[in-house]
Amino acid sequence: MSEYPPYGSEQPGQQPPNQQPGGYPPPPAYGQQPQYGQPSYGAQPAFGQPSYGAAPSGPRPNNNLVLAILSTVLCCLPAGIVSIVYAAKVNGLWDSGQYAQAQAAAESAKKWAIISAGVTLVGVVLYVIFIVILGASGSLSP
Amino acid sequence: MIDLSRRALPRWVAPAATGVAVAAAGALLTVRDPRVPGAYAICPSLALTGTYCPGCGSLRAVNRLLAGDLAGAVGYNVLAVAVVPVLVYAWVAWALPPRLTARWPRVGSAPSRAIYAFAVLVGLYWVARNLPWEPFSWLAPSP
Repeated sequence: MSEYPPYGSEQPGQQPPNQQPGGYPPPPAYGQQPQYGQPSYGAQPAFGQPSYGAAPSGPRPNNNLVLAILSTVLCCLPAGIVSIVYAAKVNGLWDSGQYAQAQAAAESAKKWAIISAGVTLVGVVLYVIFIVILGASGSLSP
Repeated sequence: MIDLSRRALPRWVAPAATGVAVAAAGALLTVRDPRVPGAYAICPSLALTGTYCPGCGSLRAVNRLLAGDLAGAVGYNVLAVAVVPVLVYAWVAWALPPRLTARWPRVGSAPSRAIYAFAVLVGLYWVARNLPWEPFSWLAPSP
């Protein structure tokens, strides 16, 4: 579900994703092979671990904003607003060098979007099962 | 070290699967009309609180959009109608080969302030569509 191309696919036309405030090491450009020898999401530092100044070990995490919008406005529960707020934090944290926190915020954005969508889907599925079991063909109008 | 988790599938698979899923959902919303009460149960937040959430009416709005009835769609959920083009753009930018879209702005790269503003907008919309007076009552889903 990443918006970024896999590592190793060279994208010579691409620009670095953002401008850095001074003093922090810039994250690698899209598709650019990082030089740290830790090339995957799986190699991110553990959440909560202090990571100021640590070299980013992958591209900027997907902030899951699209999922957040989808789960809030096109369905589901207002819990999606929590997801939007977390999505808003991701890029700023990443750009200021707080890589682990950015990753955690991205995960939270995804989690709340899934909660919002999941609760609704489970509800609809239970409702359909309920209808089938009862053989009720009438409507339960709101 | 080869990272299998990022090499297992060609990159077009996820956008294609998403496209198929959305098309299936659209077909379902056309065949089973969400305007029929109870067709898809009741919005859980409406059932629990008796108030309209930001997503209430969105299935009916999508049903109307697919039927080409823009005015009807706006009547059910104007915010949902407004975000559909954004979501379509996000999907197109994701689905096309990266060499074509490298310079396209990404929805997820929107400035933090804009995203926070959107969150506030959604919150205001949530409140406003439950107010019983015009013009706010126009934001509630059409009966």
